[in-house]
Amino acid sequence: MTRESTYERLNDVFRDVFDDEKIQICDETTSEDIEDWDSFEHINLVVAVEEEFHFKFPMGKVITMKNVGEMVDIIMEMGR
Amino acid sequence: MTITSFYYLLLVFGTVVIYYIVPKAGQWMCLLLASILFYFAAATPYTLVYVAISTIFAYLGTLYLESGKTAQNKRATYLALTGVLVNAFLWLVLKGSSFWIPVISLVGRIFPAMKDTGAISLIAALGMGYYTLQLIGYILDCYWGNCRPQKNIGKLFLFACYFPQMTSGPISRYSQLQDLYEKHAFCYENIAHGAQRILWGFLKKLVIAERAAIIVNEVWSDPGTYQGCYRWLVMLIFPIQMYADFSGAMDIVIGTSELFGIKLPENFNAPFFSRSLREFWQRWHITLGSWAKDYVLYPFLKSGFMVRLSKALKKKFGKKAGRFIATELGMLVLWTVLGLWHGAVKYVVGVNLWYWFVLMLSELCADRLKKLTSFFKINVRCIGWRMVQCFRIYIIFAVGSVFFRADSLAQGLEFFQGLPGVFAKGASGLSVFCVSFQEWTEGMGLAQKDIVIFLVAFALVLAADVLHEKAGSARAWVDRRALPLRWALWTALIFIVVIYGKYGMEYSSANFIYQAF
Repeated sequence: MTRESTYERLNDVFRDVFDDEKIQICDETTSEDIEDWDSFEHINLVVAVEEEFHFKFPMGKVITMKNVGEMVDIIMEMGR
Repeated sequence: MTITSFYYLLLVFGTVVIYYIVPKAGQWMCLLLASILFYFAAATPYTLVYVAISTIFAYLGTLYLESGKTAQNKRATYLALTGVLVNAFLWLVLKGSSFWIPVISLVGRIFPAMKDTGAISLIAALGMGYYTLQLIGYILDCYWGNCRPQKNIGKLFLFACYFPQMTSGPISRYSQLQDLYEKHAFCYENIAHGAQRILWGFLKKLVIAERAAIIVNEVWSDPGTYQGCYRWLVMLIFPIQMYADFSGAMDIVIGTSELFGIKLPENFNAPFFSRSLREFWQRWHITLGSWAKDYVLYPFLKSGFMVRLSKALKKKFGKKAGRFIATELGMLVLWTVLGLWHGAVKYVVGVNLWYWFVLMLSELCADRLKKLTSFFKINVRCIGWRMVQCFRIYIIFAVGSVFFRADSLAQGLEFFQGLPGVFAKGASGLSVFCVSFQEWTEGMGLAQKDIVIFLVAFALVLAADVLHEKAGSARAWVDRRALPLRWALWTALIFIVVIYGKYGMEYSSANFIYQAF
């Protein structure tokens, strides 16, 4: 799984969760950049990512990850 | 000993002096001693044992956990779980005792021999609601690998009972309080800022909250007499009292901590400028909301049961509706936990279910409201519309606060029945329109002069909040002024508090509202 292919799949998850086909994520994307990304959508997003990449986020990371870049790091490490 | 009392200031002053004299490695011990001293002066001393038990179990619960890693084996998991459960159990037995009253009376009715059980009343530890959440958060943070377990039990004990936050919070995370164990050199800026912050808190509590309390207490002490507009007034004034009281306490607490060079998390962020209820709860009692989000809502929504349920819901009702139901279910759990934390049925049903309901409604109607505003061509960015939004949130908050102030759920409901009633006091039918404003307020125990002082002081607080919104920080704004202006401002504030504050021997300042938790 390359970083590029991870991004491709993750972008689809984002578009699906936030119902917005225009979303284009990058390492620096944070909840500030996406209008609907609040604390509740955050957990929906986490669950959707877990489903797509077949792994479970450690609870600690759910709270502490700062941006999409960190999310991708975790996915690359744990997902498949 | 309340945190507005002379003895509290004496304790703080003494601790500050010793804190900067002792070798820096011993500073945390100085704080621990001061905290124990404070506990003996402010609370029932033996209840410190409860804090100690909670700390010991938090310590044992994290014994086999490693930093940066989630629990590695079953033993570590069981221990962490025990730590959380013991903490929650202690809280439930001691603090949530009002939930047990019906149970105890039922047991008494079935087994008459056990009737006396209810007579055993246990005294909860001071600050139990706060330190319990802190310790549970600490165990979970270690369990999830977010922080390194504290190997020195004395230091962990200090984290639990650090005296400034024992009365009203804030609920700090372990990672936010690392300053407790650092070495701090004497710094004039910390002392000046801390003292200023304490002074600001005194203004809020003694000048504003205590004045509002006079009217609020008068009407609530005899709600039968006061109908109609009296109730409206009290309903609208109580949020101001709560804000001045609670955020004033926070200013004193955070200011005290600043004297030691220790930064506590903020609990308020100009809440009355919120334009949606969701935003309001991100600005009011921030540390409680964020605690509940991280340690209750997220684990609940991420649990296997909820993931399966939300999948099933999405299949049955479609993606959007399914997700909505699942999220609202999570919110319901969150608000119920928040209500339980406050410790009585009236909070769960009257206060928190109300906010949950409005939040759900606003989520449901968001799209329609957007269409409506565009249909009427309302400029949603203009100041007038923003003020309408803020006022709307204020009213919604005020309605829930009625149950906060009422003795019981029933009394709260009764309060609303009197709202549309006669605009008169008592059965005499004396209409408010026949008496002057002065007579009207004096009837509730507040002279006209006090009303003016109250309004001016509250305007000051609002002005500071506006500065906070516009410039980031009111204090930083003041810091940038010329020296004479700065000193004039702080001196004026001291005089306002000393002259117009409600304090002194003959006046025993009421306890802080949030001291009860």
